[in-house]
Amino acid sequence: MRQMKLFLGPQHPGMHGNASVHIYAEGDIIKRSYLLPGMLHRGFEKGMERHTWMNNIGLIPRVCVVEPDINEMAFAMGVEMLANIEVPERAHYLRMVILELARISIHLMSYGGLGGPTGLYTLMYHAHADRNRILNIFEKITGHRVYHMYIVPGGVRKDFPVGIENDIHEFLNDLESRYTEYRDLGIENPTVLARIKDNIMLPESVVWELGVTGVGMRSAVNKPYDLRKVKPYARYSEVEFDVPVYDYSDARNRVDIKLNELVQSIGIIRQCLEKMPTGPVRAKVGNGQSMRWTVPKGQVYSCVESSRGEFGYYIVSDGGTHPYRVGVRGASYPQGLLGIEKYMPGTRIDDAPLWIDTMGVCSPEIDR
Amino acid sequence: MMNSMNNVEFLNELVNSKFNVVKTEIINAEQMSFIVDSRDVHTLLTLLKTSGWKQLSYLSAIDWIKEDEFELVYIVFNWDRPVHIQVRTRIKRDRENASFETIIPIYPGAKYYEREVHEFFGIKFPGNPDFHKQLILENWDDMPPLLKDFDPRAYSDSHFEKRDYPEKHINLNNQESKQEKRQKRNLKSLLLRNGGKK
Repeated sequence: MRQMKLFLGPQHPGMHGNASVHIYAEGDIIKRSYLLPGMLHRGFEKGMERHTWMNNIGLIPRVCVVEPDINEMAFAMGVEMLANIEVPERAHYLRMVILELARISIHLMSYGGLGGPTGLYTLMYHAHADRNRILNIFEKITGHRVYHMYIVPGGVRKDFPVGIENDIHEFLNDLESRYTEYRDLGIENPTVLARIKDNIMLPESVVWELGVTGVGMRSAVNKPYDLRKVKPYARYSEVEFDVPVYDYSDARNRVDIKLNELVQSIGIIRQCLEKMPTGPVRAKVGNGQSMRWTVPKGQVYSCVESSRGEFGYYIVSDGGTHPYRVGVRGASYPQGLLGIEKYMPGTRIDDAPLWIDTMGVCSPEIDR
Repeated sequence: MMNSMNNVEFLNELVNSKFNVVKTEIINAEQMSFIVDSRDVHTLLTLLKTSGWKQLSYLSAIDWIKEDEFELVYIVFNWDRPVHIQVRTRIKRDRENASFETIIPIYPGAKYYEREVHEFFGIKFPGNPDFHKQLILENWDDMPPLLKDFDPRAYSDSHFEKRDYPEKHINLNNQESKQEKRQKRNLKSLLLRNGGKK
């Protein structure tokens, strides 16, 4: 049969972010495909070498557009490791609240994104409306809706405003009460289920071959491989939560893990708000002159569990006021590039957006 | 559950007994680095992979221009014994011919990382079928951009037209610009801090 070349993205309702998938199809079966990144390349790794340690705070959230807080956390953790900074106890809990709120917001967005390729836009509108409420909470806490620049080396920028706990509790209760509705609308819905059940598989061997982490890995290997459990950072060792797993990774189970994680995140935030001690929220760095702050020599890799997997920063310092080199490990790098090249062929064209959505591909962190 | 410090000791013994490691750094209980000779990298990575460090987390390079060397960094991770290992090695900083054998046979996921390193540092990876193809930088016509002697300002000056702004946008009503004001203020505060001495 004649092969036809098609472009999925960069402007396509089913494409996430500014990348394009080149597809060679026979009929509606994909025979060859590869990702063409680079439309969002902004030279962050070079840019970070030209900014001071603290100036970089304004740059790093932009590495991943929809989930900026993990960047701040990974960068802050790396710098703290290099400079041996002790973070105040309260700041750890504030960070966890922010990170888990961000996780809920991205899981909602990704779950809503399921609505695009399956033609169920109601789901997307509901999910985005709830995500908007999280952005309102972020705005009250940090002053920004999307790029918060809240988590900085040494702690967080400032304490929570008075009364924000009520807003958070109110939102969490609302979300929890609507949780079954979300399930019924999405993955319990027969029209959606027909598309995602036993479709878009990710076997365990592929997980190890590509180096997929996060939801994809946990849905295939049936073990709680979550950095929050395996290698706890902040105070994740102090709170109780489960890591949902599966031993059979189709699109439906990966979406189900995301929804279960949403419930766990709600629990983590409640525990954090309860256990949070009072006290300072930011350790002083560099004698208060953060712009002339020098960080001791060294090379560290710091990583956090993002919604798509292990998200890391490789930070090199030569003892100066600027980082010598900062490398970003985007969580979706393995499945986004090698995964699309090797394992997308064989699926149908209309399942390609579902493939990208449920594998968790985020193009800004591939481009950087 | 195994104690995490034991993991580091285990690794230290495992690697140092079999390899001539130039330097071992223990960063904390969950991260350590082995600096090895470039000939040992592949065997060391093979040993680590068979010992359970099955995941390649990151692969990149650093340009040490003063020492005239590239440093290659491989980070591997084991989910059952949570220690991130940096395997680092240095190769000669040769702009045209710097090359290093690929690790695709050990970690297939390295394919695109190596392509990216080639694009941003110019290091060749023989054995990787696609390392020379362009990935992120479309139609790039200058030296690889993450080299330390690449100057982004000079690049943009030579590649993009300089825009002329009307005088009124630069200097409103002959007032000092914000930058000049800030410079003056900084100078003043510096003088105050030094007790009036320059």
